[in-house]
Amino acid sequence: MAKTYDYLFKLLLIGDSAVGKTCILFRFSEDAFNSTFISTIGIDFKIRTIELDGKKIKLQIWDTAGQERFRTITTAYYRGAMGIMLVYDITNEKSFDNIRTWIRNIEEHASKDVEKMMLGNKCDLTDRRQVSKDRGEQLAIEHGIKFMETSAKASINVEEAFFTLARDIKSKMDRKIDSSGQVSGKQGGGYQLKNENSQKKSFWKSCTLL
Amino acid sequence: MGEFATSGGVDRWVCPNDRQLSLRAKLGTGWSVHTNKIGNFNRPEHLSLEEQEQILRVITRAEYLEGVEMERIGRLVDKLDNMKKNAIGNGSSQCILCGDEFKLLGASPTFCDDCVKAVCSKCGVDTVNSSKQPLWLCKLCAETREVWKRSGAWFFKGIPKYTLPEKKAESSKYPMRMRPSPRGSVKGKPAGAASPRDSYTWHKARGSASTGVSSSYGESSEQDSSESSDEDFSLMKTKAKKNLDSGNPKSVTKSDNASIGSSASRTVHHNNNHPNYSRAESKTSIASASNVAGQLSATESSRGDDLHNESDSERSIFSREGSTRSKGKSSLAAEEELDNIDVAINRYVKSSNTADEEHVSSPDSEGTSLGLLEFSLLYDSVNNALHCTIVRAKGLKAMDSNGLSDPYVKLHLLPGANKSTKLRTKTIHKTLNPEWNESLTYYGVTEDDILRKTLRLSVLDEDAFGFDFIGEFRVPLKRLKPHQTKNFSVYLEKQMPMEKDDDLIQIRGKILLSLRYSVPKQTLYVRIIRCAELAAMDSNGYSDPYVKVYLKPDKDKKSKYKTTIKKKTLNPEYNEEFTYEIRHNELAKKTLEITVWDKDIGKTNDFIGGVQLGINSKGDRLRHWFDTLKNPDREYRRWHVLSAELTPELDD
Repeated sequence: MAKTYDYLFKLLLIGDSAVGKTCILFRFSEDAFNSTFISTIGIDFKIRTIELDGKKIKLQIWDTAGQERFRTITTAYYRGAMGIMLVYDITNEKSFDNIRTWIRNIEEHASKDVEKMMLGNKCDLTDRRQVSKDRGEQLAIEHGIKFMETSAKASINVEEAFFTLARDIKSKMDRKIDSSGQVSGKQGGGYQLKNENSQKKSFWKSCTLL
Repeated sequence: MGEFATSGGVDRWVCPNDRQLSLRAKLGTGWSVHTNKIGNFNRPEHLSLEEQEQILRVITRAEYLEGVEMERIGRLVDKLDNMKKNAIGNGSSQCILCGDEFKLLGASPTFCDDCVKAVCSKCGVDTVNSSKQPLWLCKLCAETREVWKRSGAWFFKGIPKYTLPEKKAESSKYPMRMRPSPRGSVKGKPAGAASPRDSYTWHKARGSASTGVSSSYGESSEQDSSESSDEDFSLMKTKAKKNLDSGNPKSVTKSDNASIGSSASRTVHHNNNHPNYSRAESKTSIASASNVAGQLSATESSRGDDLHNESDSERSIFSREGSTRSKGKSSLAAEEELDNIDVAINRYVKSSNTADEEHVSSPDSEGTSLGLLEFSLLYDSVNNALHCTIVRAKGLKAMDSNGLSDPYVKLHLLPGANKSTKLRTKTIHKTLNPEWNESLTYYGVTEDDILRKTLRLSVLDEDAFGFDFIGEFRVPLKRLKPHQTKNFSVYLEKQMPMEKDDDLIQIRGKILLSLRYSVPKQTLYVRIIRCAELAAMDSNGYSDPYVKVYLKPDKDKKSKYKTTIKKKTLNPEYNEEFTYEIRHNELAKKTLEITVWDKDIGKTNDFIGGVQLGINSKGDRLRHWFDTLKNPDREYRRWHVLSAELTPELDD
C-alpha cells in the first residue's frame, strides 16, 4: 500500500557491470542477499521509505545495467536523479579505474545539483582485494564526494550509505529553499515556474544521437 | 571493369577491396558478414524481445508511480492555491491572510521574512531555517516552501508536472463539459478545461505505442512540451485571482488547515482516466515512456481504482479539514453537496427537540466567573462524526488592557496525539460576549471513542503574540447519546493541567491481552483479544494490522506466532490464542514480546507498536505478568499501551 511521505528522492546506482549495484539495492530495500549473478536488464527500481529528522522520505532508487549495450536507456535516468551512487568493486581494479568515466558521464548527463557518493563494494572479500581503501578515499577527495566501503553480502555500510546520501540531499534541499525563499518570496510570494526548455532540448538531443 | 562485384566481373580468388567489403556488409549477405552480428550491425542497441518487455514492465511501474506522484503534487499545488485564493488582506494595514486590520489596540503586525507582508500572529509560522536561525513566515510562504520541497521543485527548479485534483464544484459550474461516463456522473469526469488538450496527447501517446523503442524518444519529446504545465499553471493563477476578488472573508479568519483543504475535499471521487496520467514526465524523462502509455491506457480503467485507494491519505485528511471548514459557513449559498449536508444538519440541529439541556449553575468556586459558554454536541454514529456547535459565550473574563478580550474557542479531543484532534473557531474581536454560531466537526469518531474520549473546549483570548487562557470545559463524550443534540450552557473552569504536552505523545494504540498459565498442562495461554486506536500506517487512514507473539529469549525462534491480518481497521478483533508449553520456572526467565504490525504487500511491514511483559517490565505490564505467574490457572485480561519505542526484531 502506498503510504504518505514528505519527500520523494530519486536516487541512481551506476558503475561497471557486476560490481554489485543490484545487490546493494536488494540489501537496502529487502535486507536480503542473493549470490547468483543476474545481470540487470536495462533499468529497474526499488522503493524504500526512510525517516530522517521526523520526515518520511520515499527513496525511489534506480538500478542501472552496467553493461555497455544498455547505456542509452540508463543515461536517460541521470537527469531525474537527485543523488547518484557510484559503485565499484574492490576486487576489480578495472571497475575502480572506470569510476572516472562514470563521473564524466554524470557531468554530462545528470543535473549539476546532483549529490554524489562513491561506494567500494564487496569489502568482505579482503583476500581478493585489489583496490585499497586509501585509493578509494583519495579518488573521492579528488572529486569532492563522500566515500564508503560496503558489502551487500555482509550488510556493511549499505544502510549507512543510503542514509548519508539521503541526508545530504535533504540538507541541500533545506539550504536551497532557504536561499530561494528569500528571492522568490520578495518578488511577490509566488512560486515560479522556470522554463526548462534549454535543458530539455539538449537532453533530447543527446538521446537521439545515441 | 566494374568494381561492383557481379558474379563474373571479379576473380573470385582475388581478395575484394574495402569498398566491396563494405557494400557486401551493407547487403547483409556474403562471407564478409558474421552472421551472429547481423542483428545488431545497424542497430547496436538492439534488445531482445524479452529484454524489451522487461524494460517496459519497469517503465510501466515507474509510470504508475509517476502518476501517483503527479496527483500528490497536484494536491499540494491545489492546497497552496486554495490558501492563496483565501488570502484577502492587503499585507500592509491588514494581515495578508485573514485581512484583520492592524490598529493601535488590536493585534500588531509582524512581517513575513519571505514576502515582507504584514501578518497577524495567528497567520504566521515561527520556524527556523537550515542554519537554525529563527524565521517568521506567513502561512502562505511557509506553505510555498513546503510545496517546493515536497514536490521536488527545489531540485527541478520548478514545480514538476502534476495532476490537479478534480473538483466537484467545477463540474457543477461547467455541466456542458460533462462527458457521459459509464461510471456515472460523479466518478468518471473529464478534467474541466484541460481535457481537450490532454485528450490530444492521449491519442498521440497511444499512436506511438505501435512504434519501436527508438522512435518513441522523438515522440515523447514532442508531446511533453513544457507548455502544458505552464498552461495549467496560469490557468490556476487566474482562477486564484478571480476567487481572490470574490473571496469570502468569513472563511479565512478561521484556522489555516480549515481554509486550505476546501477544494481538495471534493477530490474524493477522482477521475480515473485523467489523461495527464499517460503523459511522460518531462524531467525524469523516462525515455520510452510514451510507448507504454498505450498499454497503460488499456489497463488504466481497471487500475484506476487501485490508484484511487492507494494514493496518499492526504486526501482523506483534506476531506476532513475541508468539510470542517464548510460547516462553519452554512449560511452561505451552498452549491456543494457538502454544504447542503451541513445545512441539513444545522436545520436538524435546530428543529430537533432540544431534549437534553444541561445547565451548570455553580460558577467558578472562587467566585470570580470566567464566563459562560453555550454549545451543543451531536454525535452521528452512522457517519462517525461529532458535530460541535459553538454558539456563544457570555461575560467572559477580560484579558486585554482595554477591558475586553478577543475570544475564540479551541476544541481538543482527548486523549489525542496529533493535530487532527484540534479544531478552532474564528476570533471575535473586542468583546466579552462573543457569538460564534459555528459548527466544527470531528470525523472518524467511533463509538469506541465516544466511550473513552473527552472533548475539551477552551476559550482563549487572541493576542498579537500567542494567546491568553480564559477558561475551559471538558465533556466526557459518553454523556452523549447518538443522534441526540445535547445543549450545554456551562461556566468555564480554570485550566486543568494536561498530563503531558499531548502533542508529543506518540500514541500507537492499545492491545487487550489475556494470559493464563495452566499448571497441569505446563502451558502458557496467550490470547490476543483485540487492539484499539492503532496508529494508521497506510495512506487510507487505516492499517492492516496483525499481531506477533514471541517468547524471548528463544534461539530457534520457534516461539513466534502471528495472528491473522485484519484488513483496513484500527480496532481489530482477533480472539486468537497461542500456547507455549513451558515449565513454570522457565517461564519466569522469559519475556513475552507482543508486537503489532501493519501488513504491506510487497514491502516491509510497518511496525505499529509493541509491548513486553516480563520481570523487567514496569507498571501494568509487570503486574499482568506477575499475576499470571503467581496465580496459575487464572485468566488475566489487561489493556496495554503499545509503545513505538520497543525495538523488535525485524519483521520477516
